Amino acid sequence: MMGTILPVLASLLLFPGGLTVFLTGMAYEWMNRKLLARFQTRVGPRWFQPLADVIKLLAKEEVVPEDVHPGLFTALPVVALAGCLTAALYVPLWGVGPLYNFPGDLIVTLFLLSLLTLCLGIAGANTFDRFSLVGATRAFTQLFSYEAPFLLALLGPAFVAGSWQIDEIMASGAARWVILTQPIGFIVAVIGLIGKLELPPFDAPEAETEIVAGSLTEYSGRGLALFHMGKIIELVLGITLIAALYLGGLYSPLDFLIKTIALLIVIVILEALFARLRIDQSVGLWWRYGTLLVLLQWLGTIFWKGVAI
Amino acid sequence: MEKTEHKKGFTIPIGPQHPALKEPGHFRITVDGEIVTDVDVRLGYAHRGIEKAAEARSWVQNLYLFERVCGICSHIHAMAYCLGVERLAGVEAPPRAQAIRVLVAELERIHSHLLWLGVAAHEAGFDTLFMYSWRDRETIMDVLERFSGNRVNYSANILGGVKYDLDDEFVQFMCEGLDYLETRSEYYLEVVTTDAMFLQRTQNIGVMTRSQAELLGTVGPTARASNVHRDIRYEAPYSAYKQFPISIVLDQRGDLEARFVVRIKELFESYRLIRRILEELPEGDLAARMPRKIAEGETVSRVEAPRGELFYFIKSNGSDTPERVRVRTPTICNMMSVVKLAIGHQLADVPMILAGIDPCFSCNDRMFRVHLDQSVYANVGPLKG
Amino acid sequence: MRTTEEILYIAEELAAGWAWDTSTTKPEPNRLDVFVKYLEDLVPIAVGLRVQGLGYLAAITGLDHGPEADILEALYHFCTGKVVVTLRVNLPRRSPVVPTMTNIIPGAEAFERELSEMFGVEIDGLEHPSHLYLPDDMPVDLYPLRKDVHVQDIVARLKV
Repeated sequence: MMGTILPVLASLLLFPGGLTVFLTGMAYEWMNRKLLARFQTRVGPRWFQPLADVIKLLAKEEVVPEDVHPGLFTALPVVALAGCLTAALYVPLWGVGPLYNFPGDLIVTLFLLSLLTLCLGIAGANTFDRFSLVGATRAFTQLFSYEAPFLLALLGPAFVAGSWQIDEIMASGAARWVILTQPIGFIVAVIGLIGKLELPPFDAPEAETEIVAGSLTEYSGRGLALFHMGKIIELVLGITLIAALYLGGLYSPLDFLIKTIALLIVIVILEALFARLRIDQSVGLWWRYGTLLVLLQWLGTIFWKGVAI
Repeated sequence: MEKTEHKKGFTIPIGPQHPALKEPGHFRITVDGEIVTDVDVRLGYAHRGIEKAAEARSWVQNLYLFERVCGICSHIHAMAYCLGVERLAGVEAPPRAQAIRVLVAELERIHSHLLWLGVAAHEAGFDTLFMYSWRDRETIMDVLERFSGNRVNYSANILGGVKYDLDDEFVQFMCEGLDYLETRSEYYLEVVTTDAMFLQRTQNIGVMTRSQAELLGTVGPTARASNVHRDIRYEAPYSAYKQFPISIVLDQRGDLEARFVVRIKELFESYRLIRRILEELPEGDLAARMPRKIAEGETVSRVEAPRGELFYFIKSNGSDTPERVRVRTPTICNMMSVVKLAIGHQLADVPMILAGIDPCFSCNDRMFRVHLDQSVYANVGPLKG
Repeated sequence: MRTTEEILYIAEELAAGWAWDTSTTKPEPNRLDVFVKYLEDLVPIAVGLRVQGLGYLAAITGLDHGPEADILEALYHFCTGKVVVTLRVNLPRRSPVVPTMTNIIPGAEAFERELSEMFGVEIDGLEHPSHLYLPDDMPVDLYPLRKDVHVQDIVARLKV
């Protein structure tokens, strides 16, 4: 009995789940911040800064504001982080293949990844702070706008592979990278991921010059740390997912590092290049162009499949 | 958090402490969804009673007091004060001193405009431009530091002239800096006029027509971006601007992009003027002798600060302290336009519109609430939303 | 562009023609001081200046001539090019009142509020909902820029 539980526990808590996910997330956050800083001719943080930030936040007092539902206020960051950690189990992190899989795990993973944004929105709406409320409204608006094109873009490779299971899609795309056949889907997926992570230029939900920190304005200490961890884990998972689906799969740690870091660099360049979009502008961008383009590509894929058969 | 029963709608307070504001000010923005329906301003958090303090200090002490009205435009405040007091005393600063004053004023303008470019870009969430322009601003800060030993509050003026002279080593250092900045400014002009994402945030945002700008009494680059010919250096040249004329930079459009373009184009005008002054720098003394007591009288001293017209009214009663010094800073004139322009825009545009006038709350030094009477604007028509 | 002389001439004619009783002086070549005797004349002259395109109100300055003279003076500076036209009115120190200019010059509100707060001049036609730019706990009867108010008085009466 113990013999079967221990490896499972180890894989959940140490590798590839749990601790590994945290540390990978922090490493990628550091890379993100450092690269952005270098692009902006700043020095940037030292390598342990993300870890130091989290430890510091965890050690701080958590202030629960008046007029909020205290249970919800404490539970939301936990739920958000749990969602991200669960999603990590179905994603081929470090190129060792997903820990668990079942038919349709792609859909479940995408839903689990949306949990964070959902929790953020509810957390903002839960407090009575005006910045939080505006942030929550924007977070939900953004959720409804990027989710459709992002989902469609990630379902493109699945459609070609004829499966909703991540490792099967990976296997079908290994010979011919999906990015070559579905370039539009790839672009939309990357931009959708930026929106999902609320990174610039899609950071209207937490635009500091207008609404301080958006939904998270009232959060401090532990809650903020957990939300923050959820976000950095989502960054890694999102990149891994796009690399697995579009860049010919991830089959070794080296494979993983090369492909995900390349994607991260693309994302950082986009972050550095653009001014923040207003919320109405980003909604317009996704619905008017993102969704439409992905649908066009779907149409093309359907025709191509029909011809091929 | 303050209660806001008296207002309908959802009020978002910006300030007195807020990431968008580098200095204390308070804006209550009433929104309907994302659309701004009302703006209330309260200022004066940086009120230090300088005008009262001036009445208890001697003419010379006041020079250092007025230098500290504002950290960004310290030189121009001292210059306005000196010009006024010199006129009252019937003393004229030697030509070389006047040229150096103008030169430092233009250096200060470059430093202020680059600082503004960064802040405005940051308000738009364009942090890369923010970091770039502030990095380049260090060039001009180094020049100012080499000149006077200070990055801000250079204290170049004394009553009757200036303290510091230019030497060849410094001139060469400054020219190298200006050459570098000129290429950078060209790049920034290109960025703010061609970057599609940035243009989405600036084009047709906060449009102020010429008649609105005149009615609201705006000054400086904000007014010039709306095609109002209001530049004291141009319409009433003072000090060395008589020998070294400046050409006025105007734009027809009146939106945020125009304000960016006007300010960056003014940089080129400043570079040109500084080089011209260096070529024809008059020889001579640095300062004229000033009496300790200033003759009785009143004078008005108007100069063009980086943010617009700076107005000093100085009254002397013949003693060694002034009877009254009235300081009217440009921000207070432009603040009205923010309140008016923000209505009808998106909340996300408000920090941009506010940054568009280059507000300086320390300069402003006042607090007021604005209750706009719509009928006043009936003859200019509705503002574009 | 009108020359300085033309603008000064227009302003002088205005002051003479649009008001009951004024006198003018030229303290400096580019300045015209118009001493307005009756408060009722203030707004009409400002309207005249605006009609002539000289209506940029640069500032309103308050002057206190001290308790002995018992006079407060309000100076309205209108700037055009090099010219500064100043409308000056004398006010009794006990109950000074001036009419508001915000109906013709919206930008005047900020200056009028300052005048009211610093010198205790009541602005007729302008609401006073609360304390303006001085701290909220500033006593309402203390006008900091009046000559008989000393910094010590302000410090003593402010609960710091």
